[in-house]
Amino acid sequence: MRGILRYRLMQSSPGTSTKKLRIQRLLLGTGTWALGWVGMHAVDGRFAVANLAMMLVLVSAMATLWLSTRTSMLLSMASVLAFNWTFVPPRQTFHVDVMQDGILLGSMLLVSWLIAILMARQRSATQEAQRHARQAEQLRGLNETLRDGAAPTADMRHVAQALHDLVDAEVVLLVLRGEVPASNDAAQAEWLGMPTADESAGLWHCTRERSAFGPGTGRYESLTSWYLPLRGGTAAYGAAVVRAPGALLADRTALRQAQALCDQYGLALERRAATQAAEQARQLAQIQAVRNAMLAAISHDYRTPLATILGAASSLVEQDAKLDATRRERLARTITEEAEQLARLTDNTLQLARLTTTGVELQMDWESPEELIGALMHRTRRRARGQRIRARVEAGLPLIRCDALLLSQLLDNLVDNALKYSDGSQEVEIVVRHLGGHIVFAVKDRGAGVPMEWRERIFDAFQRGEAVAQGAEGDAPSRRGAGVGLTVCRAIAQAHGGELRYRARPHGGSSFECWLPEAETPRINPACVEANQ
Amino acid sequence: MTLKVLLVEDDRELRSMLRDVMTVEGYDVVTAASLAEGLALLQHGGQARSASQAWVDLVVLDLGLPDGDGETLLAHLRRRHGTPVIVISARQSDGQKIRLLDGGADDYLVKPFSAGELLARMRVCLRHRGTHAMPAVTRYESDGLCIDLTAHQVLSGGQPVHLTPTEFKLLARLVRSAGQVVTHRQLLTDVWGSEYAEHTHYLRLYMGQLRAKLEASPAEPHRLLTEPGVGYRLVDPSA
Repeated sequence: MRGILRYRLMQSSPGTSTKKLRIQRLLLGTGTWALGWVGMHAVDGRFAVANLAMMLVLVSAMATLWLSTRTSMLLSMASVLAFNWTFVPPRQTFHVDVMQDGILLGSMLLVSWLIAILMARQRSATQEAQRHARQAEQLRGLNETLRDGAAPTADMRHVAQALHDLVDAEVVLLVLRGEVPASNDAAQAEWLGMPTADESAGLWHCTRERSAFGPGTGRYESLTSWYLPLRGGTAAYGAAVVRAPGALLADRTALRQAQALCDQYGLALERRAATQAAEQARQLAQIQAVRNAMLAAISHDYRTPLATILGAASSLVEQDAKLDATRRERLARTITEEAEQLARLTDNTLQLARLTTTGVELQMDWESPEELIGALMHRTRRRARGQRIRARVEAGLPLIRCDALLLSQLLDNLVDNALKYSDGSQEVEIVVRHLGGHIVFAVKDRGAGVPMEWRERIFDAFQRGEAVAQGAEGDAPSRRGAGVGLTVCRAIAQAHGGELRYRARPHGGSSFECWLPEAETPRINPACVEANQ
Repeated sequence: MTLKVLLVEDDRELRSMLRDVMTVEGYDVVTAASLAEGLALLQHGGQARSASQAWVDLVVLDLGLPDGDGETLLAHLRRRHGTPVIVISARQSDGQKIRLLDGGADDYLVKPFSAGELLARMRVCLRHRGTHAMPAVTRYESDGLCIDLTAHQVLSGGQPVHLTPTEFKLLARLVRSAGQVVTHRQLLTDVWGSEYAEHTHYLRLYMGQLRAKLEASPAEPHRLLTEPGVGYRLVDPSA
């Protein structure tokens, strides 16, 4: 009983105010007694002794409201004795006529004691009910906090705080990162608090055994702390050691509540693990789907240029004598061009695989849009159809923060598409502008454009559709291999915190625009700046 | 005297193809299929011409070797010789490639590359061969651009071009490696100092100024070429 009173959870107000309250109640109780006695003296002589006796019983019952059971019983006994001395004839003696007043006095004492005991029972029942309510409230509160799904370390602190609130004790937590490791490897778990070597071993043992031990648990009773597993439905996800004060260690109720808190955390951990597993399964399924699409595309997009290369090369080997110089050169050029196409397709496929994996690190640096376009022009001009390309770069553009190789790949793909899907006599234009906090790279052609229903789908991997091929005119073979290009472009733009958009041009044709957010260019050390005469 | 080339490449097909390409061009080609073989050939494959000149004139080194790092071979070579090295890398974004360029490799190619490209790079490298022993390049003339480092003079289409001291230093560094790629780090270290090695934005600013002064159309440069993610190249004067 006294142990329970020491729970901080039990206390309506902690520390010094409790002491004050207790003194207040003692004063109220004893004051009632004093008033009662004054009253009895006041009416003494006017009423019969039996009436005075009833007053005493009344006072005793009232005082019990404020006084502890023991104090009440002691005061009642003292009062009955004093009553006997003061009011029961012969007065000023303890002499009692058993037949006359003995029964009266005895009854008074017994009734007072009975009231005190009943009061105590009532009080303890109320306290127990309040305690249950508080513990239920604590469990509910913790459950709520855990369900909010804050960072795991924050959750650990919440649980430790709840245990601390319960028994006013230091708590050390071990929470597994994954499966139970083969050996007690500290790196395989998250820790809260500083465990001693013994505690650390105990925590691992508790996690593996999935059962509590320590005083009150029936196992290793001689320990001075509780070791409580964080149990979910099927496994333990860690353990807690509660360094509870000695007086509390034997308390089963507190132990049960502590275990309930730990189990609730265990369930929350289990929920989190289940959610993670489901997410992983979903990602795996998605990866599988992408992989299947890739394999399907590889069998098509790779085989076609390979067939051309093989055909041209074998023709050179087998028909060598029959070929004139022009034909031979044309075959060799076909091989070169198709091989370049294959190289681009490989680059794109690999890049897409790399970008869709999480945790890709971009080689970010400060790049000049003018330079990126310059290099792009240099590469494009060397290609067979690259002569009809024009570039316009707005003057005074700020530097952009990007991965130069990735952005070059994006621009190469867009230019490649523009050259492929537009007439050989029409210009392909690259425009770089500064537009509302963004740097916009636009690649514009005067081809047939993209039909409405394809405007989003062209960005999906391997969705190069017949609609696009049908919509455009010209030689069909050069229209292959856009299956992954735009997907990579969009992935690259997004990896830079930007966006790739399609816009139909007013007088026909497509404009693919890569919007990159403007970044604040680092300052140049003023000492390094020179006057430019 | 025929020029000797050591080709270190583990893929048999690519090795024999490259050997054929180089042989047709008149080079004397020795091949190695692994790093160990390459090192052994470098040490014992022939009579060193002098203390600073190995028996090979040029090394073409593939990075993806089965038995080790191309860096080992470069380090071995650079301890004694100035023999030019061209690095062949399988990936565009290859950190090792840039490390090797910073560590003294002369140029790089990314697979797949054309034979013409390789031969052009080889010609540039061989022209620069042993520059540290010979007087450094001080003059550059190509396509109407004339740069005289000793006279501190730059003429474009016969007209003098005024450059700030930093611009001139930057251009001079590119002239000394004309035709070859110079990495960002090399340029920043040589022109601004090693504490500026990561300050790429300085380079972007000054290269922009140089382009504005030396290129007819800065958005489509023909002289100061950008190698995205790697560095810059002043176009080879003989190209």
